[in-house]
Amino acid sequence: MPGGDFHPWIFFILAFWILVCGLGVVAFKKVMYSAVSMVFCFLGVAFAYAALSAPLVAVVQVLVYVGAISIVVIFAIMLTEVQEGARDQFFNKQTVFAAPLAIAVAAVVSVVIVSADIGRIGDTARTPSLHQLSALLFNRYVFPFELISLVLVAAMIGAIVLARKEEEKS
Amino acid sequence: MNALYWWLLLAVMLFCIGAFGVLARRNVIVVVMCLELMLNAVNIALVAIAQFRVGAPGAGTLFSLFIITLAAAEVTVGLAIVIANYRNKRTVQADQYDQLKG
Amino acid sequence: MGGTQSMKIAVALIPLLPLAGFLITLLLGKRYFRTKAHILPVALVTVSAALSIYAFIWAFTHQDSVFVWNAFTWVAAGRFSVSWGFLVDDLTGIMLLVVGVIGMLVHYYSIGYMKDDEGYYRFFAYLNLFMFAMFILILANSYLLLFLGWEGVGLCSYLLISFWFRKKSASQAGKKAFLVNRVGDFGFTLGMFLIFMSTGTLQFVGVFSKVGMISSGTLLWICLLLFTGAVGKSAQFPLHVWLPDAMEGPTPVSALIHAATMVNAGVYMVARSYPLFVDSHVAMLVVMIIGTFTAIYAAYIAMTQNDIKKVIAYSTISSLGFMFMALGAGAWVAGIFYLFAHGFFKGLLFLCSGSVIHSMSGEQDMRKMGGLRKKIPITFWTMLIGALAMVGVIPFAGFWAKDEIIGGDFTHGYYVVWAVAMITVLLTAIYMGRLMFLTFWGENRADPEVKAHIHESPKVMTIPLVLLAIAATGLGLLVGLPPDGGWIHGFLEPVFFKVESEPFVWAGQGGALMLASLATVFVGIFIAWTMYVRRTELPGRLAGRVPVLYKASFNKMYMDQVYEAVPIRSTIAFAVWLWTFVDVKVIDGAVNGLARLWELAGERLRPLQTGRVQNYAFSILAGMLVLVVVLAWVWGS
Repeated sequence: MPGGDFHPWIFFILAFWILVCGLGVVAFKKVMYSAVSMVFCFLGVAFAYAALSAPLVAVVQVLVYVGAISIVVIFAIMLTEVQEGARDQFFNKQTVFAAPLAIAVAAVVSVVIVSADIGRIGDTARTPSLHQLSALLFNRYVFPFELISLVLVAAMIGAIVLARKEEEKS
Repeated sequence: MNALYWWLLLAVMLFCIGAFGVLARRNVIVVVMCLELMLNAVNIALVAIAQFRVGAPGAGTLFSLFIITLAAAEVTVGLAIVIANYRNKRTVQADQYDQLKG
Repeated sequence: MGGTQSMKIAVALIPLLPLAGFLITLLLGKRYFRTKAHILPVALVTVSAALSIYAFIWAFTHQDSVFVWNAFTWVAAGRFSVSWGFLVDDLTGIMLLVVGVIGMLVHYYSIGYMKDDEGYYRFFAYLNLFMFAMFILILANSYLLLFLGWEGVGLCSYLLISFWFRKKSASQAGKKAFLVNRVGDFGFTLGMFLIFMSTGTLQFVGVFSKVGMISSGTLLWICLLLFTGAVGKSAQFPLHVWLPDAMEGPTPVSALIHAATMVNAGVYMVARSYPLFVDSHVAMLVVMIIGTFTAIYAAYIAMTQNDIKKVIAYSTISSLGFMFMALGAGAWVAGIFYLFAHGFFKGLLFLCSGSVIHSMSGEQDMRKMGGLRKKIPITFWTMLIGALAMVGVIPFAGFWAKDEIIGGDFTHGYYVVWAVAMITVLLTAIYMGRLMFLTFWGENRADPEVKAHIHESPKVMTIPLVLLAIAATGLGLLVGLPPDGGWIHGFLEPVFFKVESEPFVWAGQGGALMLASLATVFVGIFIAWTMYVRRTELPGRLAGRVPVLYKASFNKMYMDQVYEAVPIRSTIAFAVWLWTFVDVKVIDGAVNGLARLWELAGERLRPLQTGRVQNYAFSILAGMLVLVVVLAWVWGS
């Protein structure tokens, strides 16, 4: 039964939400609608994390994805042009090949997952305590932690350099 | 076992939707958004496996945190590039970024 | 058989000294020696000559033994092994005498003849290189080492014939000599292969001890193939065409290489291979027939040539024919005796002609000479001696030797050959007489400026002439008397061990033959006298009466044209075909075609690079799908 401690229906509702919003991102003509769809999708994923008994991740998801990334995307949309026109203006020429490919990938990977041996799996999701998590973060995984901060700094600097206005030559 | 599989299937579906979007949409910002979808799908799968597995508590969720962080950085830089490009070429159509055509 | 330490040194130095002379003179001559470039080569060759005489004396005092010295292993490849070794026996002794002495005299002569030539140092360097190669050839104790010398003299012949390389005819003559020689060398090489295949060795001692093992068919082939090499090197028909053209080289070259030494290499080689030939009757017949034919053929052509050197060149071919005739008929000692004498008087004749040309300021056409008797007396008298020796007048050297050959033909039963030889003697007397009379008798027909400059040659040229004339006079008496029983016969007996010869009877058959040949010679001289001194209109009238015969003789029997038409044309045509078809179409086509192929492939694949990231992403996803499928397949099973 899916969902672990929760009622199985929760899983189906969440799945439905997430997938419909995902389709929305892909299918809407207007970019803004896609963006909003994306935000709702992220929200759904946050609930999914909660359903999986990973509250820390759910919160971070909301903070980072819904709160920051979505804003950046919307800013980008606002700074660029708005597209007009028929539907084929929005999908490019390789769509007719991309769709079957995506479906094929989905099918193959699903089959592989279902028939694979994943190892020792418990029946329910367990929550690691915050204490455990922070112990891991600062002991065992401190190196990636530091690296990630470096990456963040680099990304910040890079974004600023890339996006600033050209200086006027006087 | 059963529960985990359902989550993984969800992840696969979301991933493929995102993949389709990356390959098929013309607006480059939508492409970036679909990229985020794919990253989220992977995260779901990661967290699901991490939670259901016996032993090694926490490592999986930690890793998903890193992924989220990196995704944020990546979106930032990517959109900065898009905006810089937009300034020069005045378009966000992915078709029109073909200067490296051989 | 053993050799003393001093013999080893002598034998090693004889070829090495000229080699050193060559290297030093060639490398340093242009800058440092210049007009003095002759000093070192001449000195070295004089020492070599002295050592040659020393070796000859050794052979003379050890008449029944042979000096063999394997200096070091030269080639060792599996079953095939040849060492660099020397062999001195009585035959070698004679050859050493000829090569050493005449070579030395020619070097001295060249000091005067080649004076003021811009290639002075080069000439002496090449002369020394030639001496090195020739010495190696006659001192070798194996066919392979002999062949090394053989090729070496061929190379030097090329270098020296085309010495004045800026003259087109000279360089072409050099090429002709080398290429025609090569044909002969090819046969020689095949012969060597056969020898190795049948006996497993190339050293003389080894081969000759195993002659009995070789089947007669193989032996015949070996002899014929070796003889092919001799035909090329010693200018017999049909590979004689290079010798007359070789007269483009300076006269000392003609004297040394084309009279006294190199052309003798073929004769020497056949004589050295005596144990092989003597068991193959058919091969000896072939040798004799070709030699005889060449002798009369060359004499016939010599009668109408106008260039003084060409006459002597054809005379040489004819004499070589005589030598092979002798060897083939079984008169081995006579052949070598003639070789020995011939070296001296033919060398003398060439050097004298060089002196004549020198005094005539370079003129070589006899029609423009005449009356030089009084003006260049030394040259005249020495050349007269040489001519008398050549035609075979008693008591000069040529008489005894030639007579022995002719006598040998008769006594061995080859009457047809004897008759042809007699005719050749007649023709020889006629053309030599013609040469002498046209050059030295009568009115001088030269251009006025040339006429004013006629002078005798310098001492450095005339002294060798005198020395050679003395040799031409005395040798026959010294060495060849009595016929078939003289010193040389005893000397060479250990080499030609199976030859029986009947003792010579003065008053019987031998004497009669001798008188017959003498008479023929005098008839020929008289004919020449009549035609060229007394009634000089006769030659023109005769030529008018039998134009075909005259033209055939004058045009060298059209041999050059035959060669041009058949092998040369077809080879050139083949080469052109190879060029235009194979090289241009096939090979270039393949290479260019391959390049075009890649070009096309590249063009076809170009559209894959659209520059659009989404297309590339598609490829990535598709590839990933394939990978997953494959891996799942592999791991699943």
